[in-house]
Amino acid sequence: MKRKKIPMFLRFFALIPLLLLGGCNTEHFWLFNPKGPVAAANLYYMVVDVVIMSIVIVPTVIFTIWVISRYRASKKAHHDPKFSHSNGLEVLVWGIPIIIVGVLAFFSYEGTHAVNPWNPTVITKNPKYADTKPLEVDVVTTDWQWMFIYPKQHIAVANELVIPVHTPVHFRLTSTSVTNNFYIPQLVGQVYVMPGMRSKQSLVATHTGEYHGFSAALSGGGFSWMDFKTKAVSEADFNAWVEKVKQQGRRLAYPKFAAFAKPTVNLAGKVHYFSDVQPGLFAEVIKNVRDGKLQYATPMFLTENMDSKEFKQHSN
Amino acid sequence: MLVDLQGPWNPIFGRLGLLLEVHYNNPIIFFAFMMVVIGGTAALSWVTFTGRWGWLWREWLTTVDHKKLGIMYILVGLVMMLRGFVDALMMRTQQAMAVGPDSPGVLGAAHGYLPPYHFDQVFTAHGMIMILLAATPILVGFMNLIMPIQIGARDMAYPYLNALGLWLTVAAASLVMIALFVGDFSHAGWVGLTPLTELPYSPGVGVDYYLWSIQIGSIGTTIGAVNLIATIIKMRAPGMTWGRLPIFTWTTLASNIIALTSFPVLGVALALLTLDRYIGTHFFTADLGGNLMMYTNLFWIWGHPEVYFVVIPAFGFLSEIIPTFSEKPLFGYVTMVLASMAIAGVSWTVWLHHFFTMGASPGVNSYFSIATMLVGIPTGVKVFNWAFTMWRGKLRFPTPMLWAIGSLFLLITGGMTGMMLAVPAINYLVHNSVFVIAHFHNMFLLIVYAAFGATVYWWPKVFGFKLDEYWGKVFFWLFTAGTLFVFVPMYTLGFMGMTRRLDYIPHTSWEPLLLLEVIGTGFYLLSILAFVIQLGVSIYNREKNRVVASDAWGTSRSVEWMTHTPPPFYNFAVTPVIHARDEWAWRREHGLTNLMPEKFLDIHMPKNTAVPLIISFFTLVCGFALVWRIWWLAAATFAAIIIAMIIRSFDKDTDYIIPAAEVERMEKEIVARAEGRIPAGEPAPVGGGAGGAYASKRTPTQRRDND
Ligand code: HEM
Ligand SMILES: [Cu+2]
Repeated sequence: MKRKKIPMFLRFFALIPLLLLGGCNTEHFWLFNPKGPVAAANLYYMVVDVVIMSIVIVPTVIFTIWVISRYRASKKAHHDPKFSHSNGLEVLVWGIPIIIVGVLAFFSYEGTHAVNPWNPTVITKNPKYADTKPLEVDVVTTDWQWMFIYPKQHIAVANELVIPVHTPVHFRLTSTSVTNNFYIPQLVGQVYVMPGMRSKQSLVATHTGEYHGFSAALSGGGFSWMDFKTKAVSEADFNAWVEKVKQQGRRLAYPKFAAFAKPTVNLAGKVHYFSDVQPGLFAEVIKNVRDGKLQYATPMFLTENMDSKEFKQHSN
Repeated sequence: MLVDLQGPWNPIFGRLGLLLEVHYNNPIIFFAFMMVVIGGTAALSWVTFTGRWGWLWREWLTTVDHKKLGIMYILVGLVMMLRGFVDALMMRTQQAMAVGPDSPGVLGAAHGYLPPYHFDQVFTAHGMIMILLAATPILVGFMNLIMPIQIGARDMAYPYLNALGLWLTVAAASLVMIALFVGDFSHAGWVGLTPLTELPYSPGVGVDYYLWSIQIGSIGTTIGAVNLIATIIKMRAPGMTWGRLPIFTWTTLASNIIALTSFPVLGVALALLTLDRYIGTHFFTADLGGNLMMYTNLFWIWGHPEVYFVVIPAFGFLSEIIPTFSEKPLFGYVTMVLASMAIAGVSWTVWLHHFFTMGASPGVNSYFSIATMLVGIPTGVKVFNWAFTMWRGKLRFPTPMLWAIGSLFLLITGGMTGMMLAVPAINYLVHNSVFVIAHFHNMFLLIVYAAFGATVYWWPKVFGFKLDEYWGKVFFWLFTAGTLFVFVPMYTLGFMGMTRRLDYIPHTSWEPLLLLEVIGTGFYLLSILAFVIQLGVSIYNREKNRVVASDAWGTSRSVEWMTHTPPPFYNFAVTPVIHARDEWAWRREHGLTNLMPEKFLDIHMPKNTAVPLIISFFTLVCGFALVWRIWWLAAATFAAIIIAMIIRSFDKDTDYIIPAAEVERMEKEIVARAEGRIPAGEPAPVGGGAGGAYASKRTPTQRRDND
């Protein structure tokens, strides 16, 4: 019995999702909508990289498809059953990838310096920002919240970041528990936030607005709710906001912080304001983590039942 | 106790008291348990009612035949792949259900139906199983099955070790399956993120299950690597020079050099973490001098070579399949060999690209970026070489070739996204996002495609009949639909900024794409159905699709096609002498296709043994005891393992000789059967393929009894 072939149109049905790559509205594509020079540089290197690779990949794909259709047995095309070596082609198959990788290597080197989290040259070498006084923010992640400390302003905010536009913001980051990953896609790429260690990051927002920030590294049960809003506001609004926080906030010294660091799933996305922050809090956190004095064990079944009393005690 | 344990412990039952706190009323766990019970009962009753216990014991459980071990490796891999697929179904549905703050939650979850406690275990188990207990065993299985025949050997260099490797892998897989019902599994990702895997943050037994099952499995893989390398170096037939080695054998060599050198690093990294968890050392803790990024480094010093350990044999499959169906030799053999070796070498120098975002200096990141992109060179060379192999060929497109071509395109896209990830400036945006997930699934699917191609390609050699082409094609296209529907949206979500391992999806704009991914998993589900139907139909029609010629495809090229189909348990009547690269093609050209030798010689074969099975059983119990900290049981089983090894080392009766006359008689019978002169009174048993229809009646064990 001869079996029917699968109809051609059904086979191409399988290719439909490729259409998705085109025709989508781009507003939700955070990576394609940078709102600051660092994220823009990231995007720039992505485009450069893809374009350079396409120079080989597109012809390769076309050639392969052509070969597949041209040399089907039924086409009775020229068959060369002995052909298995050619010096010219060998030079070509090694030469082209080597050249492409060489070019990519150059851009990679350049890009790595441009967005280096310790010293991103797109900000630090940019005359536009040479005279602006940068804002310093210390970031501490806990299980599973964010604390943003503004040491110069002596204020702190949990689970929300507010920054002035057109101002370089320099971050120092550490964690009290496990590794997190500080990421605001439209403003700046990722950097790990590690316990007992300090990493750095810098960004500038060039547009006012509200951007999504979150942890991009699994850190346990409350990880999925570790978001924070990043509000980029005008200089004046920022100063007003600082004053407001100073008025309404509560004092934040180390003991208070240690209590805050207890395992807490931020289900409701709560924001807390603190004023009168103890100077040197960031350093004290690192020191206590390194000495093993700031550490909370995760209850074994904490997130097994999110309706349980235990979970309610550890979430807000 | 040197560490603070949450929950009870007592000297007799260890931590088993924890089980009283586990909630077995969860319907998902209950359902899974029922499936395993039903499946297990069905299998056991089949064996019992058809009276196959003796057969099972003699032919499979105690065998040292590389072909049968290979088949069992692949079977274990497929079973675990099914388990991993069920995990994937749960992840896809959870993510599609838990979108936005208004999405409802059931079964203790705030959103969807899997709270983080379960969801995190599901994705951890999925990743660990798919890489270490599905992809790795399937590929090792193919190496076992095909490579010795390709070099004209009768078996592996160490047949006993080979069996031990398999059964240790089974022990590892069993431990992971036990974790599903007895206790919990790790929740810290397949990479075992430190310090999340340290005792304070992972107080249950999950991480311990993870540690011990990988440890056991990786001992198996390391033993296997020693064996495969030794076999390739020492067991080649006369005339099989390095320049004539079939390309799949070359890739087996490259890949196992990687395994042999990298798995010990994993073993050490996990052992140090184990010490942290069991005796309270501080290797990878944040406090008291620990260095948590040291674990990450060690893990990826193994982890990156491991991904090439699995991809290089897949390249070998393609290099065997494409020439056969192009009716041409592989283009650039030497280049291909060099490229495989280059990939193996460079794969050692790139590990840091998995954590560019740790905040290393730009010098360090640039170095690792460029080293990573260097891998792209030999990879690109391979793509070109396959294209030039097809160029001026006479292409046929049976299912193995379809899978191979699909694989080729997956390599191109996966390679391209890999090269994007290799640039730190890009990586900072997409690291830990679903873009990375799409990249490496793209790469693993390349392997899966190549492996399905290899399955169809070598199936007739191994079992003596071809697989059904119609259902094979249905399977291929459904699977491809699944691949596209899952991974095109996933790449897209990567550009939208979606991070990996999210139990709850805060942004509703991601929902449509997540739903498409669910549709994709539906296609995968259908494709699995098609695969099962393909197997069923093929087995049912096996007499119609029977292959008696040694070369099932008519245009194959290497040595495995030079012996009977299926090969007898001793592989070759007399050890072949090799004259050329692509020996079988050379013989075909010179009219030397007669398989009947002029003169027969005695054959020296290894005897079956139950020791590997016994050792692995004790290893499994020992692993279980260590997970639950039942020290007396761990000590007792460990002692049993050592005693079994000592007893085995005094066993001198491990091999036997088949006299030349006996070989001649068997060979004549095989040929007579193939030519139809012996009526198929008793059709070749389907499962007996690897040993051949003949061998299943006359096994090494039986022969020992007759001696
Ligand atoms: C041209 C070759 C390749 C390049 C340049 C490349 C590059 C990369 C890079 C840079 C990453 C890190 C991404 C990140 O986490 O930020 C990565 C991740 C990964 N790649 Fe590849 N890759 C290549 C081929 C492969 C192959 C052949 C496989 C496996 C068969 C593979 C499997 C993986 C896996 C499993 C991960 C991520 C694991 C994880 O984080 O859980 N890659 N690749
Ligand atoms: Cu890698």
